[in-house]
Amino acid sequence: MNAKLTMIATASMISLLSSGVASMAGDIVWARDGDIDSLDPQRATSTLSRQLWYQIYDSLLEFNDKGEVVPNLAKKWAVSPDGKEVVFTLNDGIKCHDGTPFDADDVKWTADRALSEENPSLTKASWGPVVAVDKVDKLTVKFTLSKPFGAFVPFMADEFTGMLCDSNAKSAGFGVSSAVGTGPWKFEKWTKGSEIVLARNQDYRNFGRPVENPGAPHSDRLIVRTMPEAQTRLAGLKTGELQVIVPPIQDVKDLQKNPDVDVHIAKSTGQNMFLEFTVHRPPFNDVRARQAVSYALDKDLALKIVFGDLVQRELCPVAQGVFGHDEEFCRKFGQPHDPEKAKELLGELGYGPSNPMKMVMATWPGDSREKVLQVFQNQLKQVGIDASIEVMDIGTLNARVKQENEKAEGPGFMDLMGWTWFDPDVLYLLWHSPGAYNGYTTPELDRLLEDTRTEVNPVARRAKVQEVFKVLLSEAVHVPVYTPGWLWIFAVSKKAPGFKIGPFDRPLFSDVKF
Amino acid sequence: MTKYLVTRIFAAIVTVWVTTIAVSMLIHVVPGDPVQIMYAQSQGTTPEQLENIRRSLGLDQPIVTQYFMYMKKLMHGDLGHTIRGEQPVMDLLLLHLPYTLLLAGTALVIAIAIGMPLGFIAAYKRGSWLDTSLMTAAILGVSMPSFWLGLILLFTFAVRLEWLPVAGSGIQNLVLPAITLGVANAAIIARLTRSSMIDIFDQDFIRTARAKGLPRATVLYRHALRAGLVPIVTMIGMQFTYMMGGAIVVENVFGWNGVGRMAIQAIFQRDYPLIQGFILMFAIIVVIVSVLMDLLYVRLDPRIRYR
Repeated sequence: MNAKLTMIATASMISLLSSGVASMAGDIVWARDGDIDSLDPQRATSTLSRQLWYQIYDSLLEFNDKGEVVPNLAKKWAVSPDGKEVVFTLNDGIKCHDGTPFDADDVKWTADRALSEENPSLTKASWGPVVAVDKVDKLTVKFTLSKPFGAFVPFMADEFTGMLCDSNAKSAGFGVSSAVGTGPWKFEKWTKGSEIVLARNQDYRNFGRPVENPGAPHSDRLIVRTMPEAQTRLAGLKTGELQVIVPPIQDVKDLQKNPDVDVHIAKSTGQNMFLEFTVHRPPFNDVRARQAVSYALDKDLALKIVFGDLVQRELCPVAQGVFGHDEEFCRKFGQPHDPEKAKELLGELGYGPSNPMKMVMATWPGDSREKVLQVFQNQLKQVGIDASIEVMDIGTLNARVKQENEKAEGPGFMDLMGWTWFDPDVLYLLWHSPGAYNGYTTPELDRLLEDTRTEVNPVARRAKVQEVFKVLLSEAVHVPVYTPGWLWIFAVSKKAPGFKIGPFDRPLFSDVKF
Repeated sequence: MTKYLVTRIFAAIVTVWVTTIAVSMLIHVVPGDPVQIMYAQSQGTTPEQLENIRRSLGLDQPIVTQYFMYMKKLMHGDLGHTIRGEQPVMDLLLLHLPYTLLLAGTALVIAIAIGMPLGFIAAYKRGSWLDTSLMTAAILGVSMPSFWLGLILLFTFAVRLEWLPVAGSGIQNLVLPAITLGVANAAIIARLTRSSMIDIFDQDFIRTARAKGLPRATVLYRHALRAGLVPIVTMIGMQFTYMMGGAIVVENVFGWNGVGRMAIQAIFQRDYPLIQGFILMFAIIVVIVSVLMDLLYVRLDPRIRYR
């Protein structure tokens, strides 16, 4: 009986171990620190998820290397003069991963699902005031909006509007065990917490992605592994087990000197790292207190100490490369490093050496953000501000900022936050009342933000967006610090050339060749 | 014996029951509104949607009702679904658990194979340089953090020597994490074996066995080892549960496909149902192992009789 038991145990062990997916030559293995939340672009928002969706789904439009909107699944689009109708004409002959043709029905299914009443997309607000989605003919779709919405067209190039094939409706496991799109990689398998296996889409035709390859990717499979330990990812890259990794920041300098590794640093990610304050209680209900903190900080020096040249100083409330961004304009309204001015403002508020201002600074862990706050803590000390640091996971931080804004008591609270978007509409989501965190809002700012949504003439819209910048910066509501802020560095084996990061932090594997 | 068995099993059931209460309350001890935290990253979620989610999770019900709802589902083997309502928690646990058991089991075999002979030798050569050096090594082994040892092994055997792969979930991938986890525990077992054997060597029945002229090997293995094993076996049971816990760290270092790595991801994603399921499963394993160890203890030591 013992022998029989041993046999059964051995057999089950062998079957267990053979169930893991071994990578083969011709596979690209990409290792990251965390897993996706969902395969469904309407059910999650994390960058880890977005970068994966981008491999499986294409959007109607794309961003070129300059960050401009270009055709993709849709070969052209037209906006009606009143800005309330947008018509897309699809490329003919595009196939879904399950072999069915991609047409207007798929677009309508995707949009209707995102906008549905009972279970809408998590990013429904970004679709804008869409009231109807109509199939005009097999390859033409019309979106009708209740009022003009300037950010609608670029949103059609985002991962959140990745086009789903309507055959997903028949699959109970859509988002978990199945995902049918039209992108360069077909979904094969997701082992939660462990890995995602994608296979080359043989039928792929590239209409807009910023890569050289016009068709299917060169490699057979793209395996995306979750490996939380940074040093293990680094070891895997060195041994050749992994081809693309998210490296530990402190090792980037060494990797840049390594002849076997290419380090790619994403530009124009849309990521904006900024400071914000709780404004409904002292001291930060007074603009002078917020400005004092901003004047006290030598942001350039802090970034140089923590990141070297891996990030850029950001002066505007939206990231470099985003519509409306203008460094010279923003410089006029922000607070440069001026500790004397900071002390003067603190003095006006009654703070001084015998009565230092106390505050809490918070952020979420990783990407050296804590270190930035440590340098800030020191700089604040020099003007007589006592700041403590709290680090918590991003979900808790988001909830905490909201809670702090609702509290009437307690020390001043400031957080180093990061938001990413390809359009200044991100400021509407953040600062139009009630605001993403119930923070600073005014009727005047609301009106300005509404104008940035409805104005479709680019010149006029730019002016409106910059008026918003002016309020946010001079009131020290949204104090920009740097860009990018997370998941922007990729270390790639030289044996797998062709990797590229497109604008807005989108990794492209179609050109990768062994 | 039967009465003891019944008492022991009853105590085990009570332990698991208390765990279910703790686990079902987990969601309420999180500071702030759990639904707000779960959906904090989704822009534009309206208060009505949050209310719907709260209702679908049963969070609008009184706490006692929520507990009964949880227990009712649990009785049907339903641990709920992951946070985005997609995968059954039970399926995920069952998928990853065998990997963790395999890792902890292999590590335990390694720990016993190294720890017991070394502890035995140290006890036999008590006070010698060999004893001192073995026990110094054991202290080092116990004090070494497993993630650090793991990385050292990784860089030596995978990166430098290229004998073994860095990460993954195949049979070759088992070697380094099992050694990492095994070594620290080997040290604990060695120390325990040593002290247990020293106790035994001093006992009268060993002196008698020697005095009546039995061969040394018979005295050592048949008389001393058998008696010395009792506390060691109990300890090994507890070691196994510690190893299951230690596996969480080691799995993350080596990218091993077990429940530990999944649990860490679940915590990052604030996937409460999955975290709850993980804790409950862990508690059940610890309880089962400790009951089994108690029974084995009785089997091994004829002096212990429970009435």
